[in-house]
Amino acid sequence: MRNAYLAISLIILFILPTVSLAFGEDKPGEYLNRRAEVWNLFFRMTTAAFVIGSVVSGTLIWLIWRFRESHPQNKNPTKWETGETH
Amino acid sequence: MTHSTWPEWIYIGVVTAILVWVGADSWYIEHLLDKVPEDAKIIKVTGQQWFWSFEHDDGTKEVGELHLKQGQPYKFEVMSKDVIHSFNIPDYTVLMDAVPGRVNTIWFVPEEAGEFPIQCREYCGLIHYNMRGTLYVEGT
Repeated sequence: MRNAYLAISLIILFILPTVSLAFGEDKPGEYLNRRAEVWNLFFRMTTAAFVIGSVVSGTLIWLIWRFRESHPQNKNPTKWETGETH
Repeated sequence: MTHSTWPEWIYIGVVTAILVWVGADSWYIEHLLDKVPEDAKIIKVTGQQWFWSFEHDDGTKEVGELHLKQGQPYKFEVMSKDVIHSFNIPDYTVLMDAVPGRVNTIWFVPEEAGEFPIQCREYCGLIHYNMRGTLYVEGT
């Protein structure tokens, strides 16, 4: 699984751009509204950044809330804390 | 491992997928914007302390101001005679470093007529703040 993630990341980061540079079409571009493209990209990236921020900080908040000492489900020590596993 | 790890893998998967999408989308747009239209006219842009000069493809030269036509694509060949500057037309999101000994290119289509500020975006010395120009886009 880890190797698969590593492979996918490497392909996207290095191999695809290299292949594209090596065999890239040299066709002339179309008229583009640069301003619209750049700002649209910016807003999409902002959305992604906020989604990742929410997922990560949400998980941390949940972890802290769920595993606090006073949480009802943490009333009794776990089997790992009592040493019953050994 | 004594506990289930599938929530962790889903978590890693979601975050990785978003990051991959961020990279792929940015890469795609950057390459899309790199491709210059065939009928783009070339403007040589030279930065030096502390003004911009422009040379059209017919040899016409301008200093501190640039006259272009609405709806016509232009390719800027940006260079510098002394230190690093950065050629910027904020209203059209045109931004390219002017580096001595190097020609950097960027293209755009002015789709609106009017006057737009040109400025240097890389600190280049005492009068950097006033290294400005004006872009005049003439309507068709």
